Amino acid sequence: MTSIVLKRVSKKFGTTSVISDLSLAIDPGEFTVFLGPSGCGKSTLLRMIAGLEDVTSGEIEIEGQRIDRAPPGERGVAMVFQNYALYPHMSVRENLSFGLKNIGMPKAQIDERVQAAARMLEMDALLERRPSQLSGGQRQRVAIGRAIVKEPRAFLFDEPLSNLDAALRSRTRVELSRLHQRMKATMIFVTHDQVEAMTMATRIVVMNQGRVEQVGTPLGIYRRPATRFVAGFIGSPAMNFLKVEPAAGEGGMAAVRLGDGTVVQTDIPTAGLEAVPAELGVRAEHVTTGGGIPATVDVVERLGDRTLVYSRLRNGAAVVYEDEGDSPVSVGDAVSLGFRRQFLHLFDASGKAHQAPTLEGGPRHG
Amino acid sequence: MAEAAALSRPAGVVGRRTWANGLFVLPFFLTFLALMVLPLGVGMWLSFQDYDMLGGYGGSVGFENFTRLWEDKIFLRSVLNTVYFVCLSTPAFVALGLFLAISLNDTYRRSAVLRSIFFGSSVLSVTIVTLIWRLVYMPERGLLAVSAGAVGLSSPSFMTTESLAMPGIAIVTVWWIIGLPMMLFLAALQQIPREVYEAAALDNASRWTTLTRITLPSIRRTIVLVAVIEVILQFQIFGQVHLITNGGPNNATRPIVMFIYEAGFRDWSLGYAAAASQVLFVLMLAASFFQIWIGRSKQED
Amino acid sequence: MRASIQGRFGDRLILVAVVALAICWLAPIFWVIGLSFKPNDVIMKTTGGLLSPPFTLKNYTDIIATSAVFGWMLNSAIVATGQTLLTLALSTLAGYGFARTDFPGKRLVFVAVLAGLAVPEQAIIVPLHTMFAEANLHNTYFGLIAPRLAVPFGVFLMTQYFRGIPAEIEEAAMLDNASRFKIFLRIVLPLSIPAQATLGIYTFLHAWNEYFWPLVSATKPEMYTLTIGLAATQTNFAQTEGIGFLMAQAVFAGLPVLILYLFFQRHIVTAVSGGFAK
Repeated sequence: MTSIVLKRVSKKFGTTSVISDLSLAIDPGEFTVFLGPSGCGKSTLLRMIAGLEDVTSGEIEIEGQRIDRAPPGERGVAMVFQNYALYPHMSVRENLSFGLKNIGMPKAQIDERVQAAARMLEMDALLERRPSQLSGGQRQRVAIGRAIVKEPRAFLFDEPLSNLDAALRSRTRVELSRLHQRMKATMIFVTHDQVEAMTMATRIVVMNQGRVEQVGTPLGIYRRPATRFVAGFIGSPAMNFLKVEPAAGEGGMAAVRLGDGTVVQTDIPTAGLEAVPAELGVRAEHVTTGGGIPATVDVVERLGDRTLVYSRLRNGAAVVYEDEGDSPVSVGDAVSLGFRRQFLHLFDASGKAHQAPTLEGGPRHG
Repeated sequence: MAEAAALSRPAGVVGRRTWANGLFVLPFFLTFLALMVLPLGVGMWLSFQDYDMLGGYGGSVGFENFTRLWEDKIFLRSVLNTVYFVCLSTPAFVALGLFLAISLNDTYRRSAVLRSIFFGSSVLSVTIVTLIWRLVYMPERGLLAVSAGAVGLSSPSFMTTESLAMPGIAIVTVWWIIGLPMMLFLAALQQIPREVYEAAALDNASRWTTLTRITLPSIRRTIVLVAVIEVILQFQIFGQVHLITNGGPNNATRPIVMFIYEAGFRDWSLGYAAAASQVLFVLMLAASFFQIWIGRSKQED
Repeated sequence: MRASIQGRFGDRLILVAVVALAICWLAPIFWVIGLSFKPNDVIMKTTGGLLSPPFTLKNYTDIIATSAVFGWMLNSAIVATGQTLLTLALSTLAGYGFARTDFPGKRLVFVAVLAGLAVPEQAIIVPLHTMFAEANLHNTYFGLIAPRLAVPFGVFLMTQYFRGIPAEIEEAAMLDNASRFKIFLRIVLPLSIPAQATLGIYTFLHAWNEYFWPLVSATKPEMYTLTIGLAATQTNFAQTEGIGFLMAQAVFAGLPVLILYLFFQRHIVTAVSGGFAK
């Protein structure tokens, strides 16, 4: 059983295509994150589910019922907006109850739901205040509360954390995860911030230019990105990409030659490659020291628990690697690098990614 | 995604495009058609007719009303008078408005009081203003004559001297509504970020340099705006003249609007008055386009 | 050091100039107020001894006894209130329609309405007068109120205001099952109160002080507005015996507006200048 299904959905603004032929199924109780750079169509997609934008073609179903022509209020979804969109002239209580009054719910039941939501979000004391008398974090809670009281079939979040400061943002992330575990509700969360996606999602939908690049669990996407775009978008620091040429490999596994002439052996079967590998990808934590590839240290970033070292190979190619927190490395040092071969990624010219079959995609959800 | 949404529809639109939404605009639009577009059309038609309330309808006469205006000395005089008045009052509004705004652009209480004084007269109606000023300009017993007499001078008689009548009307007008340009300039001055002045101070700019190189260039758009607004407003001068001098002495203060008023509502020559209205309309459009054009070309330098 | 002394001297000079100007601004008003307390026969001879007796309240008691000024005020109040309420209703609806909704031909209609801003009253007053005469609307309240309703200024102001309110608030209301009408009534109207106040004050003040249209439309003395009534009494100014009485009338007519101005100064200033700045 699936909660929300998108069937070949497209959206055009005039002649500009924003979403093209997108299909997706979201299970009940999932915390799905639409992740992508700004302009990739993720907010438009969310607004189409909410009914704030029309679909140009395709169908949207919620719990098996087609809703893509229904007015927003009748879709049974609730939305939390980036700027919260609270009703400025109403108290918090009125903000929460406005939607319930509109469907003619009895007053006693409204009060009960508002009380329950206020208790859950610890804002009992704020109920008679106006939005202008609240802090940014409190407004955020009211916006979430306004969604909760409706007991919707799905919660839609449109970058709701981007107006909060860094400390509040990470706290709210934890609270949202907790809320999701408690309510077991279907949630869709739109963001361009990979940390939000990685920390909260049960499933991430990575989008780029109106298309889905990859759907998967956070760890699955992190470890086995399907495309070069996903590989570069997820992870901080960003994955190292090195231009390579094919070389003769051993045991049916592909090998590549770096710009400085070094040959790198991978665990990726040659048989699986459809095209010639053009780039080698390796994350900073999978670069080792003492592997025989000479490099010079450019910049050192000390983060306390670990050290990020920005270095250059002999041909000038940049490689970031992770070192221990108290690493003695300093700028100008000559170092010797190596790559952990089971964690390498190869990308062909079309951007398709290949990994070793042994590389685990992380714990599977559901 | 905001960029993408902007492609779809005009920014900020909520909901679908439907005919029903037009109902929001319909009441105003019907009013607009009936009381603005229709009379504008009728006025243009009238200006080509021989239509006299007393003499009756004499049919279409082509451009005759306009050629008659061209030969009508009183009309030509009224055009000159109006242009003269605009040339007197607009620079005064801009200069004095700027001076007051710059002098009173601070948070002192006395500045707030002074601002209220200069703006206060704007809320009075033209009839009260003219009553007041007739008592100021009154020969022998007026405020001007009495105060001049008190220091042993004799004041000129503004309203009966041909060369002084229009400047006298301009003074009344500036006294009446200096508040608007002053407030527009004040609003613009408050938009200039404080950091700009701090940077200028660090650069050892003198007060004069700060005024001419920082303040005035920063509000140039507003200066042009005020000039355009004043030209448009002052082209329509009517009440002050109608009530104080009634066009005299010797037609020296009769403006175009008063000519229209007399042609249309005293002589009841509707076609002729409508033609004069069209001339006024065109003159005002031309004047404001000219001003905007000057403002633009200066900015391009 | 030298610069600051120079600066201080310059400040003083400017302050003196501004205060002197302010005295010039106030003097005529106090002159008129002073004259209104003087007996008419004294003013006929001299206006020199303004601050010395005799004083009298007769000019003011005469207003109560004989002047039509109360009737004119009532007419002005009816016309200004009617025009304000109707302008607010039409402008708010149309402004919302233009800013927030879409309908076929919207852009064209909006451009046409905007172009109406450039049409001066005098360009249409002659045909308008003829049309109203045909419809027997002169010397009626409706006839005095109606013409200004077509001026698009208010629509323009409200459109700008609505564009400044985040659209998401209304989208949230849509998700809250509110109909378009309910959104307008419960969300949009309350949010537009500041703009309504600005437009309301501007419209009222303009209507209260309007001169040209009432001059040609209200020709019966019982339909005079305050402005036209005062104009009528001063046309034979030169021959009048009662300058003091005239001045008392001016003070009496001007005082309510000035008092309102002192109370609502900030709103009035925003209303009068705010509209033009946009």
